[in-house]
Amino acid sequence: MESISPVSNQITQPTTTTTTTTTTSSSDRSRRKRRKKSQPSSVDSSQSTSLEKWRSEKQQQIYSTKLVRALRELRISQQPTSSSSSSNPRGGRAVREVADRALAVAARGKTLWSRAILSKAVKLKFRKQKRQRIPNPSPTKTTTLTTGSISIRSKKQRATVLRLKAKGLPAVQRKVKVLSRLVPGCRKQTLPVVLEETTDYIAAMEMQIRAMTAILSAVTSPPPPPPGHDGGHTHMLG
Amino acid sequence: MSGRRSRSRQSSGTSRISEDQINDLILKLQQLLPELRDSRRSDKVSAARVLQDTCNYIRNLHREVDDLSERLSELLANTDTAQAALIRSLLTQ
Repeated sequence: MESISPVSNQITQPTTTTTTTTTTSSSDRSRRKRRKKSQPSSVDSSQSTSLEKWRSEKQQQIYSTKLVRALRELRISQQPTSSSSSSNPRGGRAVREVADRALAVAARGKTLWSRAILSKAVKLKFRKQKRQRIPNPSPTKTTTLTTGSISIRSKKQRATVLRLKAKGLPAVQRKVKVLSRLVPGCRKQTLPVVLEETTDYIAAMEMQIRAMTAILSAVTSPPPPPPGHDGGHTHMLG
Repeated sequence: MSGRRSRSRQSSGTSRISEDQINDLILKLQQLLPELRDSRRSDKVSAARVLQDTCNYIRNLHREVDDLSERLSELLANTDTAQAALIRSLLTQ
């Protein structure tokens, strides 16, 4: 019985964004060290803007932990027999995809771009395994079975970027189309949706860059362990 | 469907999105951009400018992420103790 209540406590609290199975250690750490900072995030939980969410320290720690874990798995699966394989061009791309996927997971699937990134990864896996599905380039939220009729229907129902005449200037239209191609999952979306996704996407990428930079700087020049330390384990348990 | 071509403020038909809403979104986007954040003269900065700068900024961010992931991949491929250093650094943060 006692094991159930903390689990439900974590689910009912909207502020703790960590899932129950993973990252329990990170939530402990964040709760222990950032107890004061979690209070303002609980205050604006009703109207937590996406920007503040991506700027919070806790979110960055959550993302860093996810990223490190994913990188560790990537490294284990990618280990070549020859240890002298440096400057692996595939490796950079793989790391980028892992980072993007971790970022999409951190977004909790509430935004279009995060769903598009995740579905891209899933689709690739299916395409490799089965090779029966029709290759669908549009990264929409629906499954890979979208046929031409559905896309025509969506064009009629929603005012896509092509049709919206509110900002009828061709220059603005062109730029919005370019923008919609840059942000994943926004190619056939309406103008306000694209703008909203862009703001969230930019904030998320900024956090991604901050987290990756922090990881890199932490690894390349690791800080010396503070004195008065019995070892690593006391810090973990303390 | 007949109101598709209407250029009026209230573009009836399928799109019920007002111009003000779009302007608000563009303003919010402008706040995010580092170059346009300080000079918030909303009259002078047109929507096209904001969008163009947004595209450039996103491309810059993509490039930075690519660069960082290249460095991370080199790091992962090179040394074996990088893992231990990572864990240690995260624990002592």
